[in-house]
Amino acid sequence: MSNTIIEAHNLTVLYGRKPALWNIDFELPDKQVIGIMGPNGSGKSTLLKAIMGVVEPTSGFTKVYDDELNNVRDKVSYVPQRQDIDWDFPANVWDIVAMGRYQKRGLFKKLTTEDNEIVTDSLEKVNMLGYAKRQISQLSGGQQQRVFLARAIAQQGDLFLMDEPFAGVDIATEEMIISLLKTMKDAGKTLVIVHHDLHTAESYFDHLVLLNTRLIASGPTSEVFTDKILTDTYGGRLTTISKISQELENKEFPIRHK
Amino acid sequence: MMEIWGHINTFFSAENYTLFVVSIASGILCFAAGVVGTFTYLRKRALIGDVISHSVLPGVAIAFMLTGVKNPVYFLIGAITSGLLSIWIVDYVQAKSKLKPDTILALTLSVFFGVGIVFLTDIQHSENAAQSGLDSFLFGKAASMGMLDIQLFSVIAIINVVCIAIFLRGFSLISFDENYAKGIGIKVSFLKSFLAVLTVITVAIGVQAVGVVLMAALLITPAAGARFLTNDIKKMLLYAGSFGFASGVIGVFISYSGTGMPTGPWIVVVLSLFALVAIIFGKEKGMYSRMKMRVSNNVKINNENVLKDIYKLAQDGENTITINDLIEKEKYPPSKLKSILKRLERDRHIDQVRGFVILSDNGRIAARAVIRKHRLWEIYLSKYFQLEEDHVHDDAEGIEHVITPEIEKHLIKLLDRPETDPHQSEIPY
Repeated sequence: MSNTIIEAHNLTVLYGRKPALWNIDFELPDKQVIGIMGPNGSGKSTLLKAIMGVVEPTSGFTKVYDDELNNVRDKVSYVPQRQDIDWDFPANVWDIVAMGRYQKRGLFKKLTTEDNEIVTDSLEKVNMLGYAKRQISQLSGGQQQRVFLARAIAQQGDLFLMDEPFAGVDIATEEMIISLLKTMKDAGKTLVIVHHDLHTAESYFDHLVLLNTRLIASGPTSEVFTDKILTDTYGGRLTTISKISQELENKEFPIRHK
Repeated sequence: MMEIWGHINTFFSAENYTLFVVSIASGILCFAAGVVGTFTYLRKRALIGDVISHSVLPGVAIAFMLTGVKNPVYFLIGAITSGLLSIWIVDYVQAKSKLKPDTILALTLSVFFGVGIVFLTDIQHSENAAQSGLDSFLFGKAASMGMLDIQLFSVIAIINVVCIAIFLRGFSLISFDENYAKGIGIKVSFLKSFLAVLTVITVAIGVQAVGVVLMAALLITPAAGARFLTNDIKKMLLYAGSFGFASGVIGVFISYSGTGMPTGPWIVVVLSLFALVAIIFGKEKGMYSRMKMRVSNNVKINNENVLKDIYKLAQDGENTITINDLIEKEKYPPSKLKSILKRLERDRHIDQVRGFVILSDNGRIAARAVIRKHRLWEIYLSKYFQLEEDHVHDDAEGIEHVITPEIEKHLIKLLDRPETDPHQSEIPY
């Protein structure tokens, strides 16, 4: 039997007046590969950021391991969206993966031999050890994604939150990530992945969260991945919800009375 | 020559002890600006530097109006206060309004600067005799800094640099990937504010040397130049700092060597020269090395094309290939062809004996490699892009020079080691 690893209660995140997430409630099981899906602008990344404490919820809250994130942060590894980053930064692959150890070592402590071994090991797991000294600006999209994965692995968490790891990567990298996910799941890790490709969803994920600003469904893939729910997520409701959001933003209505 | 030497001698003589100190102090100042500015540059906040530097002006004016004396400590407090206020306003308006960031920056800059000028004009019209020279904040007054200024600024600049050395890891983290830094529990907002304070302090003291108008150049130019020299953030900080230091010292020296020459503008001119040299001659990214790379690519293309033709002539049963044969076959003018042949001979791909060209074993291997890459590319194009076989040749003529051994291996594996190309020519392995 699996336990609840992440829960969200009445989670609402507003950007200005516009809701990115609206009254989200769910519980996610541990030791599974979980997909977060929905159309563009449906709040997938925001959900991950809210769980990671990168954005502050306007109301509601999330819990990880039935606790506040700050108390269990060392168990959570994070892979932000690769496209949000300017890769023309003066650093090499090793420097970036070593950032995975900063959570443990903080801002001032030197990295130890053990840290270096962990970094080496993480690079090996994503087949990037040969690129350790490579400038990050010279990497392909797939290689950038591997570097971000290695950095998350170096954090040595039990729960991995990944923002669009499959976006714009080559087939070899996609296959590598998939086999890595399997290995990690077998090792008892929980993987939460923001994803947008419907074709692969069924084969990749054990559990799905379908979002369109509001939560459409959350449950085992076999139960949730139905035509009706997918239409609800990607079809008609999109226009209704986005029309309301537009009104809230343009006319500065409050989302609820306080 | 003697005259310059004379200047240098005077410059470092005991009587000019003050000027020696001024040049060093201005060097330290510019070093600090270069180091702090590296993060301004990496976080793409170049315009923020401009906003802060213009925004310190009202602070300085108000400090003088309140105290009535020209004391660098009061000026510094005033400058830092209004500089921080300007950053806070930019952030606040950005969060609360729908204005675009560039509009907010431009407006904040002009409003603060305008208010500063109004106050300064007011002060100048007042009866206070101490006010003379206050307008030097517009263009700087490094050469006439007092001993107190110099000591104060140097100490602050050094503290500043030490703080950055200590917080290097945190500042790099927030510059590269703020979300990740937050995600691993780093105090991002503290680091951002701390960096902002260091930047404002640097600007507040830098303004006294080069003035509000040129201060932004002191922050951004060293980093922009340094980025072309290295891909390592520590080295980048060091280079940016060194550019700053050297420009500070040299700028003061130049402005001293003539009468009435301004210090700040000279510092900025020297700094820009450093940056320009870096942008042109920086390895990898510099314009010069990119030009060299293009030239060497052309050499490679010419060599390989001629070598390929010699090989083909030899294949066609021409046992004796003369230079004239090649001139007929090639589109190169004879003089150019001769220099290409000379290079091929130097690379031991061919021998030239009395007007005859003889392909060596090395040359044969190299020529076959070019033909192999050409044909592999043709197969790849026709297989994966459904191109007709008469449409693939021209493309392959260009790409045959680009394919690296690594890509070639990949192609052979991908195409399952084909035997013939789309024109049924054999692929020479």
